[in-house]
Amino acid sequence: LINCISFPCPFFAVYQVFESVAKKYDVMNDSMTLGIHRVWKDILMHKMNPCPGTLLLDVAGGTGDIAFRFINYVRSVRQRQLQRKLKQHQNLSWQEIFESYQKDKFNSLGDSQVVVCDINREMLKVGKQKAQHLGYSEGLSWVLGNAEELPFDDDKFDVYTIAFGIRNVTRIDLALQEAYRVLKPGGRFLCLEFSHVSNPLLSRLYDLYSFQVIPVLGEVIAGDWRSYQYLVESIRQFPPQEELKAMIEDAGFFKVNYDNLNFGIVAIHSGFKL
Amino acid sequence: MVRCQQYPPLRALQASAALRRASDEHRKEPLTSSSQQHFDSPPAGHQPEQEPQGPHPSYTGLGGQESEDYESEEQLQHRILTAALEFVPEHGWTAEAIAEGAKTLGLSVAAAGMFHSDGSELILHFVSECNSKLSKLLEKEQKLVQLGKAEKKPIDEFLRDAVEARLRMLIPYIEKWPQALSVLLLPRNIPSSLNLLTSMIDDIWHYAGDQSTDFNWYTRRAVLTGIYNTTELVMMQDSSPGFEDTWRFLENRVADAMTMSNTASQVQSTGEAVVQGLMGAAVTIKNLAGLNQRR
Repeated sequence: LINCISFPCPFFAVYQVFESVAKKYDVMNDSMTLGIHRVWKDILMHKMNPCPGTLLLDVAGGTGDIAFRFINYVRSVRQRQLQRKLKQHQNLSWQEIFESYQKDKFNSLGDSQVVVCDINREMLKVGKQKAQHLGYSEGLSWVLGNAEELPFDDDKFDVYTIAFGIRNVTRIDLALQEAYRVLKPGGRFLCLEFSHVSNPLLSRLYDLYSFQVIPVLGEVIAGDWRSYQYLVESIRQFPPQEELKAMIEDAGFFKVNYDNLNFGIVAIHSGFKL
Repeated sequence: MVRCQQYPPLRALQASAALRRASDEHRKEPLTSSSQQHFDSPPAGHQPEQEPQGPHPSYTGLGGQESEDYESEEQLQHRILTAALEFVPEHGWTAEAIAEGAKTLGLSVAAAGMFHSDGSELILHFVSECNSKLSKLLEKEQKLVQLGKAEKKPIDEFLRDAVEARLRMLIPYIEKWPQALSVLLLPRNIPSSLNLLTSMIDDIWHYAGDQSTDFNWYTRRAVLTGIYNTTELVMMQDSSPGFEDTWRFLENRVADAMTMSNTASQVQSTGEAVVQGLMGAAVTIKNLAGLNQRR
């Protein structure tokens, strides 16, 4: 499957990794991170705090975790908005209330949309099946595309997210430039990714867990030791927080900062196209 | 969680600068922001393009089109917050109002993510804007007095007018102001909000002609802060036409403060007199008891 485990893997090897793990992706995420990845993604969504009407591009978002969370969030914000509006409409006639209901009934997302873009057809397929299974229909699109060369026009999206995907991109600077290109002025770039733990004790425990436990889990659950060995090594090779921040600034983003989650195991980087 | 803030060298904000160029072209009116320089408008018929340059301001410009047209992040944030104030009566002091403000500037709604989600920056921005407006107003009045075009007001009237002018600036936002007050009391915001409050009170006393260098300085500021805060709270639940109940309350409090200072000096002199009387009585008793004799 993969010949070069310890060297930076080229494009096709990455593709094959995700092709083989696509079906077990979610299960592996849960078992590797003991379910904490859900909390990380929730925190990402809270940080984004999208309002209805936001257009989100989720790159490398294969199985749709971020996209579904976005839809839930926007839906609840929209609900609160509508409730507030109704409270202000205390003195309207029944006819007017009925009309306002009609108008907003078909707008439960407030025109928000999310486009899920992934390079891997298998991951998209799993995502679409999940969406159908969980009942997500409106506001979602699935597009096949490469993060280094996005099939979208300039200045289109309000928010660009890439959760646990930028690690797998061969030319990170190109991906950042593409992110800059497709974002509207004022748009936000958000990146959720494994990063470096600076605390020495924690770092040793983390290394132990990563190299001893994760590939074993990979073999037992997904039947694929090498992919998960690759995963753990790619995490170690990924630039640390400050370096990634500098790269994001080089692409032209402003107000770049990062938040460490779990002492640096995961970091959320944020930047604005101003 | 570790947060890292960056203070980069001032670079041209490409996207927002291009947006402003575009809106300038369409509206053909000068920007009001004072610290920005205008660029020479491009020859008519040219649509400004979004140049995908590197992040360095081009002072020599491409073909003479760009000059020193750049603003810092702080200036852009300032503009967004000012634009957001218009949406506060509808959305409250929230990230939604900021998002709407950003939309009017042509930016994406995601730009509201630059600010805290509870709207603190918006409120602090508003308070500091009101304080500057008050300073300008007081300065103008002072100039009129100096030029002899107006009478110098007595202290209580001056204080009353200053506090009333400042509180009137809250009227357009009065419905959502209680929410703003509670946000200003969050521990995170207390240093900044306290700072703004004390500098405003300082300003008012300065223009009132206060030049004290003793303990009076503190008492005067404490008294005026008390008056301002209580009047603000009264204004929150005042439903009389034109807020006349509030202004009457203000008048009474200022009058109280004036009498209080008179009373204070009276108390002091009375206290001194009483003490002297007691001392005299004590000496007399000692004399009578023969304890003052020297043997």
